[in-house]
Amino acid sequence: ILFSGLFGTREMRILILGLDGAGKTTILYRLQVGEVVTTIPTIGFNVETVTYKNLKFQVWDLGGQTSIRPYWRCYYSNTDAVIYVVDSSDRDRMGISKSELVAMLEEEELKKAILVVFANKQDMEQAMTPTEVANSLGLPALKDRKWQIFKTSATKGTGLDEAMEWLVEALKSRQ
Amino acid sequence: MFAKLKKKIAEEAASTTSTSTPRTGGRMPRSMSKESITSVGADSGDDFASDGSSSRGDDLSSQILRRNDQIRKLEAKLSDYAEQLRLLQKTKDKLEVALEKHQDSSMRKLQEQNEAYQSNRAKMAEGMALALDKKDQEWMEKMASLEQEKASLSARLAEMTEQSLSLFQKRDDLDELEGFQQQELAKVKHMLLRREEQLGQRERELQQKEGQLQTARSSLAEAQAKLHRLDGEHQENCRINEQLQAERQDLLRVRDQSEQKVGELEARSRDLQELIQQVSEDFQQSQKKAQDLESSLNSLQTEHEELQLEHEQHKQKAAVREEERECVLSELQEKVSSLERRLEGNLSQDEHLQELLKEKSSVEQRLEEVRVELLQERSSHADTVSSLEAQTSRLNGSVAELQMLLRHKDDSSKAYRERTDAQISSLEQQVDEFTRKLRSAERQLADSEAHVQTLQEGWVEERERLQQQVGSQRQRGLERCGQLEEQLGVLRRQRDAENAASQAALTELEDEKTELLQRQEDAEVRLHTIAQELEQARAELSSRQTVSVEIAKALEDTRRQKEELQIQVGEMFTTQQVLQEDASKLSDQLQAKHTEIQVLKEVLQAARGDVDQLKADAADREQVMSSLRQEVVSQTEQLDSCQSRVLDLEGELESLSEQLQTSEVCDEEQNGAVTVDDLDHLQKVNRDLELQLSDKNKTIKQLQQRLAELKRTLQKELKLKPESEADCRPQENRGERQDDRPNQDTAATAPGPGPVTQNTTVINSADLTDTREINFEYLKHVVLKFMSSREAEAYQLIRAVSVLLRFTREEEDLLKQTLEYKMSWFGSKPAPKGIARPSISGATDHWS
Repeated sequence: ILFSGLFGTREMRILILGLDGAGKTTILYRLQVGEVVTTIPTIGFNVETVTYKNLKFQVWDLGGQTSIRPYWRCYYSNTDAVIYVVDSSDRDRMGISKSELVAMLEEEELKKAILVVFANKQDMEQAMTPTEVANSLGLPALKDRKWQIFKTSATKGTGLDEAMEWLVEALKSRQ
Repeated sequence: MFAKLKKKIAEEAASTTSTSTPRTGGRMPRSMSKESITSVGADSGDDFASDGSSSRGDDLSSQILRRNDQIRKLEAKLSDYAEQLRLLQKTKDKLEVALEKHQDSSMRKLQEQNEAYQSNRAKMAEGMALALDKKDQEWMEKMASLEQEKASLSARLAEMTEQSLSLFQKRDDLDELEGFQQQELAKVKHMLLRREEQLGQRERELQQKEGQLQTARSSLAEAQAKLHRLDGEHQENCRINEQLQAERQDLLRVRDQSEQKVGELEARSRDLQELIQQVSEDFQQSQKKAQDLESSLNSLQTEHEELQLEHEQHKQKAAVREEERECVLSELQEKVSSLERRLEGNLSQDEHLQELLKEKSSVEQRLEEVRVELLQERSSHADTVSSLEAQTSRLNGSVAELQMLLRHKDDSSKAYRERTDAQISSLEQQVDEFTRKLRSAERQLADSEAHVQTLQEGWVEERERLQQQVGSQRQRGLERCGQLEEQLGVLRRQRDAENAASQAALTELEDEKTELLQRQEDAEVRLHTIAQELEQARAELSSRQTVSVEIAKALEDTRRQKEELQIQVGEMFTTQQVLQEDASKLSDQLQAKHTEIQVLKEVLQAARGDVDQLKADAADREQVMSSLRQEVVSQTEQLDSCQSRVLDLEGELESLSEQLQTSEVCDEEQNGAVTVDDLDHLQKVNRDLELQLSDKNKTIKQLQQRLAELKRTLQKELKLKPESEADCRPQENRGERQDDRPNQDTAATAPGPGPVTQNTTVINSADLTDTREINFEYLKHVVLKFMSSREAEAYQLIRAVSVLLRFTREEEDLLKQTLEYKMSWFGSKPAPKGIARPSISGATDHWS
């Protein structure tokens, strides 16, 4: 705390959340090293420091399996932004994804966090459009929340830059 | 605990042995039944082979009987199976109990490990506090050295600032110089440009003047051409003048000639007048002669008239005689006519004719005689006429001659006169003509003279005019020439002047240029040197900047450090005071503690003894483990046997079903209607059996899964045991395990950690183990990260760890404080109040 006070550059704390297999870990490493890495289901979490536009982010990628989803709330404190990753091609679990998102957004600790939704896996044929995803997640009904949805493909690397750009601007403007 | 375990194992062993006995018992009848079935099958087969055709009716009843027997036997077997199943379920229950116990023990161990860890942590914190004290002193020393360094650095900073100031000044100077230079260069360029413009203007003017000159020259040439033409005209005029003069001379000569001619003509007229006088004299003489001749002619004419009168008298005498003869001839012709009439009328023709012829002859003779007489008269008359005629002719001849002569004379005079008159008239005419000619000549002359005079006048006028013109033109030309020459001269002068000026300007400009170039060169050299200086200065600057940046960085660092140090020092001063106060207290306490330590050392020795004992316990435990393994092996064997039995049973069932089918077939062949009910019954039984079999299979699978889980937990336990035991050892002497157990038991009996309770639907044991597995994995991962990550990250993980490990709030706070303490450089180690005392806090409700 003393250090951060002295240097004036606090690392932004960002959580990447979403159901299992949505592509959170792939996105994290795509953001950090810019490569597509082979991932295994994350039991636990991955934390990496990502530098984007002279802003340092401490990005936490939390495992999204059903049994460990309840532990997400352990990481909510001091979070600046939440990247909520949705598998756009998984129409069946969109309802679960929505309920998880709603539960997450009701947390007191995340009242001030910015929400960025990644409609991921846009390279898939049956992928839903960002608007569809936003509607099925009930995003338009959100109030008192700065949010934005982006269509992304972590494997192709598309849409991430725009999303991060927006996030950076949003974070800068919030400060 | 071990005792309990042992007991349990013993119980389980007993149960297995007890179950094994009926199992063998159960097995026996099965083998028997098998034999019986086969034997029966063989018998029936023999029956079919020997007397299938002869005694079918008798055999049917016996076959039915046999079937019934078989069914009974099968029922017996089924009951056996049921028993076996019951037994298996019992064993399953026991195994579950054992498993739960194992889980309890493992949970307990985990708790113990945690305690050990926390105690270690506390110890470490104490050690850290001590180290901090040492560090304080070190820091003080460091502070002194840093202050010295700071002083030196500040001195250097001042120097550097001075240097940088001078550098900035230099840079400013340089910039100024560059600005001046550029301004000067711009000025010079501007001047040059202006000069060039002026030069261009002059050249343009010159060109204009040259154009004017050329136009003037061309006009001069035109004027000269005009002059030439005028000269030509003048010469022509002169020639015409000469011609006119020659003409005049000719005309004068012609006048002289005509005057001479006039004199000649006058002389001739005088001659002619003399001749005319002579001619008139001759004329008068001839007139006189003519008068004479006329008088002679008159006399002659009178003679001629007399003669003519005589001739007429003769003619009248001749006419009167001729008339008397003509009257005598007319009377004789009447006497001849009267005598012929009488001859014819009196003599009867002949006598009268003779008498008339005699009278006729008589009258003719007389006529002849008268004729002769007349002829004689005529001849005499002709002779006189002829003589008279001759005389007149002669007289006429003379008159004619006279007349002829006169006439001739007249003619000649007339001719002469005529001739003279003609001559005179002609002469007069000639004179008139000549005078006329003269007059005309004179007139002509006058005209020509007038003409000549007019011409001369005109010519003179023209000449004068022309001369005037020429003169004027010449003058004009000359003037113009002069003007042009003047202009030219002026222009030349101007040009020369301009040239000179421009050359002067040029030379000036060149001088200026050379000067400027020199200046430029100088400037360039200066620039170069300045640039070099600049570069050097820049290099210096950059180096200095880097140095200064470094220094600044260092300064900042030092400042920061200083600030921190100051803060620390401030705090330290306060703390020092407190500490000094404390120190006195602590020194007292220390002495007390020393004594305590000695006591503790003794306790430690005792503990070491305990450790030895524990090691022995561990050995025992390993033994227990081996026994457990054996148990597991035996259980697996049991399972295998169960599986084999199941397989046997399946085989049996299949054979039975085959038999049944064959029997059904036989039945149908023999009597389809009778055995339908039996068959249905058999099929039902069969289905039940199959269902039972599938249930058994399920239970077997479940058992296998549980066995696998047991194995896994056993392995984990085995792995964890040495570490946990090593860690736990120092805490074991506290003897809290007995108190701890009930809590842990309650915790373990709960189906899972907090989060799992939310998913209460997960009751299935397999899923439960899965979630446990995942939770365990999760815990492992989080704890590993917590331990390995940076303090800042670890701080974030406190929450997760405390949730996963179900820490109390105090424990969590302690963890947080500890981490904060680790992260910050000062502050005291948080006191371990109430930690590692879950029994005291007793807050099981915290963990949910």
